[in-house]
Amino acid sequence: MSYFTLTRRHVLMGMAAAATLPSVSFGQSGTPISGGTLKISHSTRIATLNVLSLSGPAEYPCIDMLYSGLTRTGLDNQPHPDLATSWEANEDATEFTFYLRDGVTFHDGTPFTSADVVATFEAILNPDIASSARSVLTMVDKIEAVDDLTVKFILSAPFADLPYSTSHANARILSKAALEGDLSALDTTANGTGPFKLETYDSARIVRLVKNENYYKPGQPYLDAVEMMLFPDLAAETANFLSGTTDVMLTVQQAAYARIAESAGIEAQRVSSGRYVCIVMRQDQEPWSDVRVRQALGLAIDRQLLVDIILEGLGRPAYDSIVAPEIEYYTDKPEIMYDPEGAKALLAEAGYPDGIKATIVASDRPAIRAQTAIALQQTAAAAGFDLEIKTMPHDTYLAEEWMKGDFYIGYWGMQPTIDATYNLLLTSEASYQDTEWKNAEFDSLVAEGRATIDPAKRAEIYAKAQELELADKPYIVPFFEDVLTASSEATKEWKIAPISRFYFVEDVWLDKA
Amino acid sequence: MPRALKSPTGLIGTVLLLIVFTAALFGPLIAPYDPQLFHVQARLQGPSREFWLGTDQYGRDLLSRLLNGAPATVLFGLGATVLGVGAGSIIGVIAGVAGGRTDSIVMRILDGMLAMPELLFTLLIVSFLGGGTAQAMLAVAVTFTPGMARISRSAVLSVRTREYVLAAQARGESQAWIVGREVLPNAVAPIIVEATIRVSFAIMIGATLGFLGLGAQPPSTEWGLMVAEARQFMFRNPWCVAVPGLAIAITAMGFNLFGDALRDVFDPKRNH
Amino acid sequence: MSLAYLLRRLGAVLIVLCVVSVTVFAITAVLPGNAALMILGENASAENLAAMERQLGLDRPVVVQYFDWISGVVQGDFGTSLRLQLPVSQVVGEAFWNSMSLAVIALVAVTLIAIPMGTFAALKRGSIWDLFIGLFSYVGTALPEFVTATLLLVFFAAPSRQYLPAGGFVAPGEDLSGFFVHAILPATTLGLILMAHISRQVRSELADVLSSDFVRAARLKGIPEGRVIRRHALPNSLTPAIAVISLDIGYLLGGIIVVEEIFAWPGLGRLLIYALQNRDLPVIQAVTLLLAVVYALSNLVADIVIAKLDPRVRYA
Repeated sequence: MSYFTLTRRHVLMGMAAAATLPSVSFGQSGTPISGGTLKISHSTRIATLNVLSLSGPAEYPCIDMLYSGLTRTGLDNQPHPDLATSWEANEDATEFTFYLRDGVTFHDGTPFTSADVVATFEAILNPDIASSARSVLTMVDKIEAVDDLTVKFILSAPFADLPYSTSHANARILSKAALEGDLSALDTTANGTGPFKLETYDSARIVRLVKNENYYKPGQPYLDAVEMMLFPDLAAETANFLSGTTDVMLTVQQAAYARIAESAGIEAQRVSSGRYVCIVMRQDQEPWSDVRVRQALGLAIDRQLLVDIILEGLGRPAYDSIVAPEIEYYTDKPEIMYDPEGAKALLAEAGYPDGIKATIVASDRPAIRAQTAIALQQTAAAAGFDLEIKTMPHDTYLAEEWMKGDFYIGYWGMQPTIDATYNLLLTSEASYQDTEWKNAEFDSLVAEGRATIDPAKRAEIYAKAQELELADKPYIVPFFEDVLTASSEATKEWKIAPISRFYFVEDVWLDKA
Repeated sequence: MPRALKSPTGLIGTVLLLIVFTAALFGPLIAPYDPQLFHVQARLQGPSREFWLGTDQYGRDLLSRLLNGAPATVLFGLGATVLGVGAGSIIGVIAGVAGGRTDSIVMRILDGMLAMPELLFTLLIVSFLGGGTAQAMLAVAVTFTPGMARISRSAVLSVRTREYVLAAQARGESQAWIVGREVLPNAVAPIIVEATIRVSFAIMIGATLGFLGLGAQPPSTEWGLMVAEARQFMFRNPWCVAVPGLAIAITAMGFNLFGDALRDVFDPKRNH
Repeated sequence: MSLAYLLRRLGAVLIVLCVVSVTVFAITAVLPGNAALMILGENASAENLAAMERQLGLDRPVVVQYFDWISGVVQGDFGTSLRLQLPVSQVVGEAFWNSMSLAVIALVAVTLIAIPMGTFAALKRGSIWDLFIGLFSYVGTALPEFVTATLLLVFFAAPSRQYLPAGGFVAPGEDLSGFFVHAILPATTLGLILMAHISRQVRSELADVLSSDFVRAARLKGIPEGRVIRRHALPNSLTPAIAVISLDIGYLLGGIIVVEEIFAWPGLGRLLIYALQNRDLPVIQAVTLLLAVVYALSNLVADIVIAKLDPRVRYA
């Protein structure tokens, strides 16, 4: 469990902080009371409810309430039963059988069966449909309905982590009828099996969900309704939350966290997460092709300073691996201290005694990218890196720089498994291979890991893979960013998984006497 | 220009402009610190003996950043205006001198461009050009062009019927001579007045674009961008938004007042 | 003012709109990236991108896209927002009324304050009040909206002393007083520059008229000063004030973009910035055209009003 409430507070110079801690009420919240409307404020627009392709931070909680998946990622970052009550794999992890929950109905009353599961995964795998979950399901060859409540996944290659992939936030089960109809209807309507039903969809202001009386967990959800309220202005969002107009502030900005956490009647939570900024250095380009240059840049970053200044202390220094401590099979990474002299020496050794001049590109959204670039420029100057920063609009960045440029700032959310993490970015065939770091040994380790079922063996394999990553330093990863959220005292059981796409609102209840 | 100094507005304008130009010319030299240097121990502080105007979220000295951003901010205003006024004047003078079909076609096109609200026009151009200081400058210049063309055209037209021009025509001087020696020198005053006032607009629009993230980009010390970057921290340290914000206002006001004083000098009728 | 003149003006506006729409379309098509890329963000694998482009119809040739769009517009169908997947008319329509309500509040407040202010300054020419109002107008015109807005926020909406909401919007239908409370800071920001501008204009025009021959003649005839001002001076100086107000509507439409963005007012300006960021072409088009139409119409109305008030002005 990597889930903790505010137990320590970084006191930054020049920022006074009170010594009181907000009351912690987990595990002692008493018997849930039914009823009430939970108001959740968020600051990014809910532009679509299309489960297959959406990616907005406020869109994820909506589909988590509206839909269910075969499996669902829990607070422990493990897959748990959702529409599948259990599953089993064959010896070599090439065939998975999922046993489905009986008696579940969609919001419109139609019963949920294996046909819906088959239709959903076929849609995800259909290259003519944009879908975010496809990249973690590429090994699925065929999905068969064995009977009404049993589905079999036949894989083209062994893959031990399939239950993780089926819990991908964009792999929620849609009804067969919806998938056969006009897909653009998915943008604004929803017929799921989740704990809440869609009542109002007004992307400019409010999305209102109401209790699904037929949800499969008996007695749940406790809430009558949930309102996702859009506050495009952070100051207004904070003010409304603090005054009690809203119950939950979905995302708290680092700059405002200390103040919100100190307010009376508020529970602020920081959830350690594997979200990170990374410095992308294309390794088929000078000077980044030389591992000593990458190591030098790694030494030239004052990681604690970045955590303190950019994250206001609300995160942890990372040491150049994209695998976060929350991910299974993570190995401890040696600390890298800020050492400009050591960096200089490495640069000289690599043939750059006078340092290196380079231009680092940062997209203008979110601001953390440019902030990292600015802090990097400052701390790396002492090590002989003369960096120029080029900030560009996000659309230009995506079209022209991302996966093309040789030195830029990346920003990624947490993946559920080490396999997903590495196959997203680092294996030779990774979905978003942007470093040109190609290592056959690493590739075969990752492939071996996904085909291995025995956890002890997998741990060994992944430890080796992480060693290779550290030795070659394909990315510089300066820090992991905490997920920050806050709720009123009356809001019980408000929780966010480290991967921050799962919210368990069916467990939430309001203690409003 | 001593007459411009006589009115109180002219005097204030001149003094403000002197301050601004001093900052623009010598600012980077007299700045107490490196404008990009982090003072980690002194983040978001108010004015102190160490940091006269306080520090921003990275602990960077606001005074140093302000002084460092002065040349960029002033150059932006002057550059955009010179480009816009230059292009506009040339178009306007050509239209005014040529008259007839050329004139009416040119004026139709300019009217079309003027049919868009100014900031909207700039915003569209700059978001299509992709953001950045040079792009923003170009966008402001393009936005200024039609208005300036109209003004210079009407200046030319009003001069064209004056006695000295008619006399020159009667003397049988060439068209080029008349334009160069009689029309232009007399049409230039209203253009200069308008241009001076436009500089203040250009600075304000440039800062606004910087604020919206479409102009100068981090870690530039452009003043509008300084306000934008510090916005998240404005309640924790109001100085980091107030300092660059007021600097923009002072600069814009300087050009405004000075421009008005110039107008009074050139056009004494309007002198109240 | 003849009907033919009116028709010609409207015709010119139409031509301008066509040119604007073609230009916006062409430039957006040439730029790298598109709405599909912005929707997918870093989920944009080549396969996903191609699929999304097909879903949004962005795989068609640009010319086809344009003609599909324009033929829809002619029939009153502005298409579907690429980002929000809602009818453009709905998205833009709501934003339009929100913007207009803000603009009207600002304009009314400005007119009610600026005209008396300018009049007062002109009557007390040379006094400390005149100087004060003059100074105010200089400061006002030199403060860009984002600076005014930020300073107002610091003074009136800091968490420690929340006199006014820092931003946001309440529908007037739900809570009328809430609506006005939320409108105070944005309307003040919008109004400040206009107020400075208009009061200065009224002062200088009125000052001109007051020193003119016919006012002097009226005074010589022994007509009381109050009557001179009300009946002779003010009407003559209001014409230019109206001209300025109409010109300022262009300014207002620009300023509203910034103000809405800062105060999270869900109007056209905020929508435009969102659409520009997300490369939502149908929305960019609709908002741009709408703002251009409003601007053109307000200019036209101003011309008509001026012609009615001032018989010397003739439009051929």
